[in-house]
Amino acid sequence: MNTLIELKNITKTFDDQQVLKGINLKINENEFLTLLGPSGCGKTTTLRIIAGFDEADSGELLFDGIEISKLPPYKREVNTVFQKYALFPHLNVAENIAFGLNIKKTDKTVVVQKVEKMLELVGLSGFEKRDVTSLSGGQQQRVAIARALINEPKVLLLDEPLGALDARLRKEMQTELKKIQKEVGITFIYVTHDQEEALSMSDTVVVMNDGYIQQIGTPTDVYNEPENRFVASFIGESNIIKGTMIRDCLVSFDGFEFECVDKGFKENEEIEVVLRPEDIDIVKPENAKIKGTVESVVFKGVHYEIMVRTELRSYMIHTTDFFEVGLDVGLTFGPEDIHVMWKMV
Amino acid sequence: MLVRRIASLSKGLYVLLCFAFFYTPIFVTMIFSFNSSKSLTKFTGFSLRWYTQLIENSEIMSAVWVSVSVAALATAISTVLGTITAIGLSKSRKIIKEWLTNINNIPIMNPEIVTAIGLMLLFSAMKFEKGYLTMLLAHISFCTPYVITSVYPKVRGLDVNIANAAMDLGATPFQALTKVIVPMIKPGITAGMLLAFTMSFDDFVISYFVSGNGVMNISMIVYNMTKRTNPTINALSTIVIVVIFVAVLVVNVIPKLKNKKGRKINEKNI
Repeated sequence: MNTLIELKNITKTFDDQQVLKGINLKINENEFLTLLGPSGCGKTTTLRIIAGFDEADSGELLFDGIEISKLPPYKREVNTVFQKYALFPHLNVAENIAFGLNIKKTDKTVVVQKVEKMLELVGLSGFEKRDVTSLSGGQQQRVAIARALINEPKVLLLDEPLGALDARLRKEMQTELKKIQKEVGITFIYVTHDQEEALSMSDTVVVMNDGYIQQIGTPTDVYNEPENRFVASFIGESNIIKGTMIRDCLVSFDGFEFECVDKGFKENEEIEVVLRPEDIDIVKPENAKIKGTVESVVFKGVHYEIMVRTELRSYMIHTTDFFEVGLDVGLTFGPEDIHVMWKMV
Repeated sequence: MLVRRIASLSKGLYVLLCFAFFYTPIFVTMIFSFNSSKSLTKFTGFSLRWYTQLIENSEIMSAVWVSVSVAALATAISTVLGTITAIGLSKSRKIIKEWLTNINNIPIMNPEIVTAIGLMLLFSAMKFEKGYLTMLLAHISFCTPYVITSVYPKVRGLDVNIANAAMDLGATPFQALTKVIVPMIKPGITAGMLLAFTMSFDDFVISYFVSGNGVMNISMIVYNMTKRTNPTINALSTIVIVVIFVAVLVVNVIPKLKNKKGRKINEKNI
């Protein structure tokens, strides 16, 4: 895989507030990469720097190995899909999509053909003459995607494009976007604060917080092997417990020792352990080291969310079995369910 | 039943009275412009005498030319100035925005006579020769705030990313302005233009103070002529009224026709 975009030590300050504190990132060709993080973490700023709407204070931005920091947005081979679509209401659907080509003075017949092809790609055939303001949110979003893709960019930037849609439509558009990305075969850089969206669509997830990149990895990596407390708690629900790494593959927490699969920590190093709620099994108290009582049960649709009070803390458990409040239970988990991470300073 | 009938009748009468109050003076002017005698009280017969006199009167014709050309130039220049200012204002920092919108309101609220004297003193101090140019400059200066006031809300209503979207698609900043921003704020620009034109066209106070060397617009010449009875003024007023009536008609009818056409295209595609 070839690196298409490279960010080296990018920093950015707005009104005395440092939004980006040194971003280093390599983005490959044909990759679906997601910048994931809470609002204010710097993900949108990173995207705007790549698009050219904002300029970094320091650092390098390489595109195909060439420094492009000073290149204005209209000379960059990237196109953007904006959060609130930013369609042009004085133009109809076809004119909106053709905007980029018309600016480049493309031949009229070519424009008509390409617009038709794009409308087909986003599933809006026959909508050419429609007024963009008469379209639903989902349809407007598709027009925005078509308007960007018709310019055949090397990279498509998407800034929380599904933010304004309802839950059902979001799901539908997620699948659709992934399909479109495969079809056109270009790099997508996607910004979202929705961890589920990030995990289900991306090839690579970049977790950001407070102007720093916290972790870069595949969706399975960031979910199963979170590098620190922030990543663990931001992506999915988790039980985070302080503990000690006794030696390779042996960890101690809550007063017991457990076998695990993690290596490479110092002996007796202070660490934190992540236990995903769905990885914990509820068993009879005599079959487990950790014992407690069921504190609360909440029905969540597919599963129950059960809080079990132990001597030192409450554990969150997701299970499809029902347990009564007040029941004495034991908690078990396998060595591969224990994820050990560096302690955050 | 009777009460209701009286109520609806008096409602109609009220509206009628209102309109009579607005339009009677205009009708009187129009009718007496066709009077064959000089009297402003007795209609002695139909004639186009005052219209021929109007056309033959070079003083009035040159005033018409001054009014029309000053209004056209002042409108064009203040519309460009005001629109650019409004767009720039929307991108400025908050404190500048607040200050400038407030400062912009002062000339609008200020009594015209104060503006007029101010401009007169300024031109005198700068040793400007009073005439056509000073009148034009004065008109540009009092028209621009109106354009800013009517364009600014439209600019503020735009999606913050709209210009970025255009540039992202390959438009240079100038193309983003002409192909996206201006078409989108056109209603505001049109309103500002109409306002500027009317303000300039019927201005008397400011023009009276800043003009000189015999350069007069319609309001000034009418003012000079009312000192003696002269029905040519009625003829001139009638022409102005007809022109305005046609203009209002066109402005109101054209968008409706366009809408109808647009709707038909949309219906076809549903």
